[in-house]
Amino acid sequence: MLAIALGTAGFITIITMGRDLKQNFNRDLELLGRATLVKVYFERLPAYFHQNFTSATVQALRKMQGVRDASLAVCTYMAQSSNNGVAHNFSLFGVDNAFWDVCGFTTQDGRLTSLADNDLRQRVVVLGPELAQTLFGRKDVVGKKLEIQQDIYTVVGVLKNVGLGDLSHFAFMPFTTAQDRILRISPANRIYLRTLTWDDVDKVAPLIPQVIQSVQYAPGLKVEVAWDQVKRVKAVAFWVQLFIYSSIVATLILGGVGIWTVMMAAVRTRTREIGLKKAMGAEDQAIMAQFLAEAVCLSFTASLAGSFVGLLTVEVTSHLISSHPPQGLFLFCVILGLVVAVGLGVAAGLYPSLQASRMEVVSAIRYE
Amino acid sequence: MNELYPHPRINGPIIQVTRLSKHYSNGHGVIPVLRGVNLEIHPGEMVAVMGPSGSGKSTLLFILGLLLPASSGNYQFLGQDVLNLSRTDQADFRRRRVGFVFQNCDLFENSTVYENLEFPLVYAQVERHERPARIVAALERVNLAHRLRHPANRLSGGERQRVAVARALVNQPQVILADEPTGQLDRQNGHMIMENFKHIMAQGDTSLVIVTHDTQVAECCHRTFSLEDGVLYES
Repeated sequence: MLAIALGTAGFITIITMGRDLKQNFNRDLELLGRATLVKVYFERLPAYFHQNFTSATVQALRKMQGVRDASLAVCTYMAQSSNNGVAHNFSLFGVDNAFWDVCGFTTQDGRLTSLADNDLRQRVVVLGPELAQTLFGRKDVVGKKLEIQQDIYTVVGVLKNVGLGDLSHFAFMPFTTAQDRILRISPANRIYLRTLTWDDVDKVAPLIPQVIQSVQYAPGLKVEVAWDQVKRVKAVAFWVQLFIYSSIVATLILGGVGIWTVMMAAVRTRTREIGLKKAMGAEDQAIMAQFLAEAVCLSFTASLAGSFVGLLTVEVTSHLISSHPPQGLFLFCVILGLVVAVGLGVAAGLYPSLQASRMEVVSAIRYE
Repeated sequence: MNELYPHPRINGPIIQVTRLSKHYSNGHGVIPVLRGVNLEIHPGEMVAVMGPSGSGKSTLLFILGLLLPASSGNYQFLGQDVLNLSRTDQADFRRRRVGFVFQNCDLFENSTVYENLEFPLVYAQVERHERPARIVAALERVNLAHRLRHPANRLSGGERQRVAVARALVNQPQVILADEPTGQLDRQNGHMIMENFKHIMAQGDTSLVIVTHDTQVAECCHRTFSLEDGVLYES
């Protein structure tokens, strides 16, 4: 019974929370690679150099099914700063506030640029940890002033050095500020887009040119996806899912075997009762129905208990990851779990019930 | 009168067995148990079958109740051949025509007296509202109506056997087949059971076939048969 209860609870939890868990897992997987990050840009050819993405394009991409968010960025690889009389060249990104969530960046110190920073064109900057080290000789530089192209900027945050790669040597400032104040900044010709899960990448990526071209003229458009990483993540996820579902099936089968054993024992210990009932005129079908009903009751009760455990697990998990799984899906899983349990009860109880129903009356009555 | 399954008024025997044989096969050969048994039982008759242990008394009783198949011979119940009935028809026969009382008064231990008597009615598909009256009537015939809601496992040995008799009667069968019903009772309780049987048989046209070792039990019956080496003799 415990096995069936656990199997049902696991089934309900995994199916109901599956997508939300996958999204969270997806975010965490960024540590391993940027599988769900799609980069959209114009080819770096002179003919397309001045191509811009519009904010309407970004909005259209954000509305695509399977897209979590999209961010517009500008950049320059020739930003210059002077700190304590020493000149430094570095790369600089002008980013909107969606950029951080899209790229999965967080700070080790201070904060990220916000919507207000963008709206007010604030002169604030977030530094990659290696760039902070290079410029200031240390990484706790929040509140420090930094001169970039003769403007003074306040360092408001230093990024965590997790999954940054080369961007650890970059500086980031509000998109609007970069467009206004940074010389030789690129046009807004790159969009970073995050899909909800790795399963969405191959659905979203082919549609991106279509969506963009429905909003603006976009020759020389390039969509860059880390297909190798997507493939690898999907392979890992497939095996993990296979393992989990196999475990659930194995648990349910174990429960079925348990019920089979219990029912076999019940038939053995109640042999005289069976004989007596047959002597009273009980038909084979009546005896079979009795034992089948007992097996189904056992299985159904266990599944019901599992549904309550599943409900609790879903509540706790959704609270922990701040998600709202659809109620309909939960109910569907509960009903499916109960139906599977009934099927399992019938399957496990069939042979013992058949044995009880075909029992010879005299042997049963004389059974010690 | 039997209200549930009205007994047809017949002048002939209820049970007519001719040249009935039963043998068992084991790895070494065939063991004959009954050899050409002939028996007639009339309505309201009490018949005792005696014989040493292993003589085939219980086997004969089980064949009469269609709990065991016969190897050969003829068995007619109310003029109908019943040896070749299907399993479903055999169950129907046991429900409607016969009631069993076994030596060790098998009751459903975790059920009440009422529930024990309700089982045969459930199998006979008697309407729920009709059951209490039938159960009380059957218990009254063995003077145990006051034990209606008593748990079966708290009854005395004599009471348990009387409940078993009541259970055999509850579907108002035409024949009661009793396999040493007093075998595990003291003399007083055994006497009470036999008095119950005599009283019941006197009330209607139910017949009784009783297998026993006890000559005093046999003396209560109208006829006594003896089974020796598989052959049935009337004493």
